[in-house]
Amino acid sequence: MTGLLLYARSRALPAALAALAGTAAFALWAAGRLDTYVDPDRRVPIVALAPLLAAAVIGTTLYTASDELDRTAVRPWWPRRLLQLAALTALAAALLPLAVLGHPEVFGPATVIRNVLGCTGLTAAAAVLLGARLSWLPVFGYVTAVYLGSSGARGRAATVWAWPMQPGAQPGAWAAALVAFSVGAALYAVRGARVEGPRG
Amino acid sequence: MTLVTEPTAAVRTRHPLRAESVRGFAPFAGAGILLTLGAMLAGSSARWQGGWAETAAELHTAVLITAPFAAAAGCWQGGRERRRHTEELWGTVVRTPLARFLASALPVVAWVVAGYLVAAAFAMLATWPFARGDRPHLALLPGDAVAVAAAALLGHVVGRVVPTRLAAPLLAMAGYVGLGMASTARSGSGIHLNPAFPVPSASLPVWWQPVAMALWTGGLAVAATLAYAARRRVKALVPLAVAVTAGALLAHTGNGLWHRDPLVHRQVCDTSTTPAVCVNARYAGMLPQVREALSGVTGKLKGVRNLPVRWADRGGAPRAHEAELPTLAPFGWSVVRGRLTSPTEFAWQAVASLQNRDCPFEKQEDPRVQRADDVVAAYLAPSPQQKYFDDLDAQGDASHRAELRERRAAKARFAAMTGDERRAWLSAYFAARGDCDPKGVPSL
Repeated sequence: MTGLLLYARSRALPAALAALAGTAAFALWAAGRLDTYVDPDRRVPIVALAPLLAAAVIGTTLYTASDELDRTAVRPWWPRRLLQLAALTALAAALLPLAVLGHPEVFGPATVIRNVLGCTGLTAAAAVLLGARLSWLPVFGYVTAVYLGSSGARGRAATVWAWPMQPGAQPGAWAAALVAFSVGAALYAVRGARVEGPRG
Repeated sequence: MTLVTEPTAAVRTRHPLRAESVRGFAPFAGAGILLTLGAMLAGSSARWQGGWAETAAELHTAVLITAPFAAAAGCWQGGRERRRHTEELWGTVVRTPLARFLASALPVVAWVVAGYLVAAAFAMLATWPFARGDRPHLALLPGDAVAVAAAALLGHVVGRVVPTRLAAPLLAMAGYVGLGMASTARSGSGIHLNPAFPVPSASLPVWWQPVAMALWTGGLAVAATLAYAARRRVKALVPLAVAVTAGALLAHTGNGLWHRDPLVHRQVCDTSTTPAVCVNARYAGMLPQVREALSGVTGKLKGVRNLPVRWADRGGAPRAHEAELPTLAPFGWSVVRGRLTSPTEFAWQAVASLQNRDCPFEKQEDPRVQRADDVVAAYLAPSPQQKYFDDLDAQGDASHRAELRERRAAKARFAAMTGDERRAWLSAYFAARGDCDPKGVPSL
């Protein structure tokens, strides 16, 4: 078994890839059920929740059961961590928009890509602060709270704090998502996920 | 011989639940619920802060996110022994499986409920200074709190049974999507079994609805717990029977579970003006602001006859001889935190309501009628957008410019009238309101 395969298995990547594919398939099925071709606004649940689920899946792969052993390695870990996070994010960003093709002026592929970046960034940051296995919790709370709380919110500030729910190419929403991804990815690449002891 | 007795140190034994409650994941879960709910309530504060019924409705809607969150937190806690590899060790203790289960489950249940109730208390406190009538609505809170507790308990069972890292986030997502889809359903007897069933702010539950909802959700959770952890699993049939009975009662009663808030049908009026100004009794404290916003209109209408008797706030269904007061609710538009956001806009809408005719469209489109409406609106409460539309007409084609000249000439003729002439003209104008014949509208 090659080192790459061992690494993939140690991060539960095969299961994560299957889960990402399942998420994309579910999003595609939901888009058909919701008749999103009739009214693009019906895509909101998919645009907000599919990236959230994908980010949770990616977050679980950031866990390593042999953290102390890993840290004794001669080679630096940050390129591997960054590559893993970037590759999984790119895969999610490539698969999920298939459910919401067209209508870029409202809730189209670009909004899904933006939300994948933002949610994954928050999840990676949570993995550094809380541990990888619980990294899905803060972003789940935030996105669901914004989902219910942002309807009717107006003003430039709302495009930033309610970035997962913004239609079209709102600069504030993109800036928030890109900052979240950059900070989260950088933190994770440098620090790795928080060590989870036996009491975790 | 002397007996020497050593003083025995008092051994303080603390209940295991205490350690489980103050350490570990349970307080974190409670803080998570509080923060999540706090973020949601802060984002939507414009639409609930200042209204007791709106606050209660928002807190009830929040079950959509608090229940899945609680289920996920319970699921995470349920998988703890597997993550720690302490399942076999727990198997050696003398306590029953149910006691061991409850020792780790109850702290999470208590903390998530505490988080929900603290957030609810903060929301009530935030509404209090801006409330303009009504009283706190607490009827749905007990049922919602039990639903959150039940979700945490059910999640714990799932966490014990499903051995995968993704169990908790998948359960959270499934709960959110499931409750969300159930909440969009508008028909079927099963919709009333949904603990996050959307309740309009003007509706109140019958007294036993929260009890039945608590028995329905709590009974299911206790049944699942007993089926998983009790020594005699057949005991699970008792809470299951209770839950099924309560659920059947909820489903069978259907829309009878809700009734209109009696306050909705009451009006609080200031009859010192003509027309009188009435607001819904739920927002009785808004009356001085509304009267002040309309004071310019009512001042100009002094001595004018044939007016509607009052502006009334009956949710879009004014009675005969009444004009509809511009809507105060839902909050977040014309009213935010107990204040009118734009008294000028409100007055313009109130005048538009006075001018409202129940006539065919082509009769209302008659130039004579439109010109008279325009003059009256400009006199009583000019639209904040009027200058914008005038500028558009000024830059438009010849017909638009001619129409603009006509409007301005009509306004000039109206402004040149004496006070008595103007009152007589307005009296004739409002007399023609009930008649759809454009010729009945006085000319300018």
